[in-house]
Amino acid sequence: MLLKINKLYISIFLLTICFISITSVASAQTIKVAAAANLQSVIGVLGKDFKQKTGVTVEPIIGSSGKLVAQISNGAPYDVFLSADMDFPAKLAKNGFTDKPPVVYALGSLIICSTQNIDLKNWTKLIVTDKVSKIAIANAAIAPYGRAAEEALKKMNLLDKVKPKMVYGESVSQVNTYITTGVATLGFTTQSLVMDPANTTKLNWQPIDPKTYAPIQQGMVLLKNKNGNSAPAVKFYQYMLSSSAKSILKKYGYIIP
Amino acid sequence: MDWAPIWLSLKLATITTLLLLVIGLPLAYWLSKGRSVVRVMLEALITMPLVLPPSVLGFYLLVAFSPRHGIGAWLAHTFNIQFVFSFPGLVLASVIYSMPFMIGPIKSALQQLPISLAQASYTLGKTERETFVKVLLPNIKSSVLTAIVMTFAHTLGEFGVVLMIGGNIPGVTKVASIAIYDSVEGMDYHTANNYSLLLFAFTFVIVTVVFIFNRNKIKSPLE
Repeated sequence: MLLKINKLYISIFLLTICFISITSVASAQTIKVAAAANLQSVIGVLGKDFKQKTGVTVEPIIGSSGKLVAQISNGAPYDVFLSADMDFPAKLAKNGFTDKPPVVYALGSLIICSTQNIDLKNWTKLIVTDKVSKIAIANAAIAPYGRAAEEALKKMNLLDKVKPKMVYGESVSQVNTYITTGVATLGFTTQSLVMDPANTTKLNWQPIDPKTYAPIQQGMVLLKNKNGNSAPAVKFYQYMLSSSAKSILKKYGYIIP
Repeated sequence: MDWAPIWLSLKLATITTLLLLVIGLPLAYWLSKGRSVVRVMLEALITMPLVLPPSVLGFYLLVAFSPRHGIGAWLAHTFNIQFVFSFPGLVLASVIYSMPFMIGPIKSALQQLPISLAQASYTLGKTERETFVKVLLPNIKSSVLTAIVMTFAHTLGEFGVVLMIGGNIPGVTKVASIAIYDSVEGMDYHTANNYSLLLFAFTFVIVTVVFIFNRNKIKSPLE
């Protein structure tokens, strides 16, 4: 009886070892890219193009910039960080998670967007009316697009008036969910949502006047790992500044510096 | 420290527990009475939130209550109710999500009572309702208390569904578990620690009380 149980334990142990080794083998030609949520639709396209050119697989980790910085600060093993602003990557540089200051790889555009057939051209008048019950916005503390949206609303003296209608997504991805499922009447999000050819939901949108918010400069940093920067990670960093990456980003509504 | 999320969590847990007690007692009694196909299927449905990822419930609630179609559109147009992003929405989600914790203990306690107890009561001319309230319920007091406490504690700890359908509105849907997540994401570990420590202590007390109350019975409070 005892022998049988011992055997059982040994086989479970061996099986576990097997699974662990299987998962670690696959990571040889793979890099982990922490990407701000506004890049959700474009990062897959960039990854595919990069793989075609170099054979390296890009594993994206999507989240709000603030959340990703919190993860990196606590030792998340990511190779490159694509933020939605310059402050978060600058913070990483200050704390020694990267050697170089962040570089701008794209400028983001803020839009107002809805599944409903409402007149978004006059959105400043519309959002204070009863026609709009819920306004989705990203959490300004961790999501730069949320910060930009609050800034624009404040500048137009609308923030306090619409605050009771506001619902907060933890990133622009969640805001996109709230918009596309229609649970929020409208929301403030990234232009890349409506430029995404894979998006089948019919969306009604208008750009927000860029004069009303500070430019969304999106910064990138190469992160220091235990054994320094791997060659594929450096390659991806350079690729993001290349003309092929720029043309993809442009297609998704980003402005290229 | 902002106490609003803590109060909101307590309010949500209290309302959910009261509602579930009202729904749970008759439902558990009905389920304990036999094993027909309908009963088994209903019990399976009720128990499913124990094993189903909260995101499944969150996703379906999000779709179901979208004012664009189906039930959500009907509710929005006829009653002007929107469940998503509202406190009643969280209550609804919590009732579904915590239901197994209320039904489970009560139902199994009822099934373990000797059938002669109810039969004696019927022989003495008592109706089914009287028998349930005056004979059966007093005999399963500790299980009902366990059910109440576990439902309350489980609702306090609810996170996934609220994250998906709550919208993180301060004072409306930003419950303690969400406030912790939020402060961790924003690297405000001090606030996160305050909330977490409070919930940790509170939950510890609650579960300990249940164990003390049931100390004579050798069984887990989940049964």
